[in-house]
Amino acid sequence: MSKLLEIRGLRARIANGREVLKGIDLDVAAGEVHAIMGPNGAGKSTLSSVLAGKPGYEVTEGTVRYLGRDLLAMPADERAREGVFLAFQYPVEIPGVNNMYFLRAALNAGRRQRGQAELDAQQFLKAVRDRLKLLDIGDDLLRRAVNVGFSGGEKKRNEIFQMAMLEPKLAILDETDSGLDIDALRAVSDGVNRLRDPARAIVMITHYQRLLDYIVPDRVHVLADGRIVASGDKTFAAELERTGYAYLGDAA
Amino acid sequence: MLMTDDSAPFRDAFDQLLATVAEPAWLTTRRRVEMDRFALLGFPTRRQEAWRFTDLEPLTAAPPLPAAGGGDGPAPASLAPWLLPVPTHRLVLVDGRFAPALSAGGALPAGVWLASVAETLRRRPDMLERAFGDGEEAFAALNAALFTDGVVLALEPGVVLETPVEIVHHTTSAAHARLHIALGAGAHATVVETAMGTGAGWGNTVGVITLGAGAMLTHLHVQAEDPAACHTAAVRAVLADQARYEACALITGGRLSRRDVAVTLAGDGAEFRLHGAYLLDGGQEATLSVRADHLGQGCRTEEVVKGVLAGASHGVFLGTVAVAPGADGTDARQLNRNLLLSPQARVDTKPELEILADDVKCSHGATVGSLDDASLFYLQSRGIDPDAARRMLVEAFAAEAIDAAGLPDALAELAHRHLRRWLDGGAS
Ligand SMILES: Nc1ncnc2c1ncn2[C@@H]1O[C@H](COP(=O)(O)OP(=O)(O)O)[C@@H](O)[C@H]1O
Ligand SMILES: [Mg+2]
Repeated sequence: MSKLLEIRGLRARIANGREVLKGIDLDVAAGEVHAIMGPNGAGKSTLSSVLAGKPGYEVTEGTVRYLGRDLLAMPADERAREGVFLAFQYPVEIPGVNNMYFLRAALNAGRRQRGQAELDAQQFLKAVRDRLKLLDIGDDLLRRAVNVGFSGGEKKRNEIFQMAMLEPKLAILDETDSGLDIDALRAVSDGVNRLRDPARAIVMITHYQRLLDYIVPDRVHVLADGRIVASGDKTFAAELERTGYAYLGDAA
Repeated sequence: MLMTDDSAPFRDAFDQLLATVAEPAWLTTRRRVEMDRFALLGFPTRRQEAWRFTDLEPLTAAPPLPAAGGGDGPAPASLAPWLLPVPTHRLVLVDGRFAPALSAGGALPAGVWLASVAETLRRRPDMLERAFGDGEEAFAALNAALFTDGVVLALEPGVVLETPVEIVHHTTSAAHARLHIALGAGAHATVVETAMGTGAGWGNTVGVITLGAGAMLTHLHVQAEDPAACHTAAVRAVLADQARYEACALITGGRLSRRDVAVTLAGDGAEFRLHGAYLLDGGQEATLSVRADHLGQGCRTEEVVKGVLAGASHGVFLGTVAVAPGADGTDARQLNRNLLLSPQARVDTKPELEILADDVKCSHGATVGSLDDASLFYLQSRGIDPDAARRMLVEAFAAEAIDAAGLPDALAELAHRHLRRWLDGGAS
């Protein structure tokens, strides 16, 4: 399997602040699902932010290669158009920007980048309907402004819906499970499972084991204090469940 | 006063005008009174509180003068992008004079008077005899002295004019045009006024609006003057019982722009709503000044004005709600929100309340901010490039004011079209 993502010795800090990532090594191949677990404050969201290109962080050492390219040299929007998708831990509310209008602009930006024809309003609507059906979600989200007035669960579902529309090669899901009740968790997990694909890698960040009952990963990593301190296959998650990962560096 | 007589540059044009127009004696007298009044007042200066943020220098240094006989009109096709997407009664004024060739009046229902000011003065001068105010401010006085033409819309009581009236001011030199709107009790009308032109012209418009009991006027104003032009406009409206004045102003043009809206809610239960936005770039300056005088009981005022300031532009919002003694049950809200897109852009915002009545509900607020970084990143993280992301957020910000106006579809479409035209113009 070709390596989709290769992270080597990645160190990063908050701009003009303290170091949060203290040497991360991680390989993810197409078709794989990786889970990254770890205590609050370990640096999980920082890792996803650095991969997505969020401003406010400085990479001080290390490399990230995505499909063989230097990911860190690409602006955030280009990363997205090249197939990197971040499902936010806290999706942003954007008043006045209609969800559909926004998503069509995003989808067509990616298509332009890949040299594909843009979707017109009708083609886009059909794609939307297909994905809504696939994920079994209603269309009431679509009429509203981006994330405005959405419940926590609706926001997370909207992130997965966007993922389904944009068809990324690398999807990073940052605590997509947090704040969900059991029904919403099941719905979101089913959605993610339907988006598993041999050409797509999924990195899901969580600090609950329960997500892994619904989305079974190929690899599980523990991130603590800015480092990956342990990795294993899916049975490793069950082991962690028994022992907890406190011994792996959870100071809390 | 004689040393700095601001009226001096206008005297020749004034004499020429008086020599060429054939109009009622009362009007000639009125013009002379107003010219003298302007000579007395001169252009406003920054020492006057209401003008303290407005830099009139681009206008007063060398005020454009009316072109004799009016300038050339625009090619009809060039108007198309500015027009409503539905049939209208259209009147085009070129340098302040009615241009029949560019206009398309259409058949008028009974009880509707819609004509140029010049025609009205010929056929029904009585309609305008009491339509000039005393004690005008400087710009309105100059307009009354020098006006060449304009539009008169008068509806008899109960008449509902479904088809919008569309007025286009096309200015290349100087235009002093008047707009008179009088709606009888229960009458309804929709008016769109677009100001545009080419070159360093000056449009100086006066609007006089009277709404009878239960009358309703929807009034969209699109100010899209040439970037080198100056634009001054004074609109005053008097509302009787239960009358509604729904105004929306979209201001993007001109080097210097000033719009003064003064609304008197004279009757009980009258309602004034003003929504709009000023969107400026480069060295543009625009002032939107709105005054609502609440005299009647149980009247409502609602103002939502957005400002988008790019480049080294300067936006000014002055909002006063004055509640007179006895105007109980007044409900007034003013909100002015501004978005600064560059470190050189500036805004002055001054929403004010003067309350002399009991039992009133008044609120006012003003904000100045910049684009939200988290929103920008969210959009970019989905593949939208930074320019498009900024544009999307600016459009959403300004569109909110247009949408809140609740305009009829065709007017909303025109307003959004104009907003997008501004965004395409490369600001931000
Ligand atoms: N933008 C930021 N500014 C300041 N501190 C931050 C910022 N982002 C993260 N941190 C800090 O970095 C550490 C790691 O945070 P984060 O990556 O969010 O952890 P996790 O997602 O694993 O809970 C925490 O101590 C957090 O307070
Ligand atoms: Mg986190």
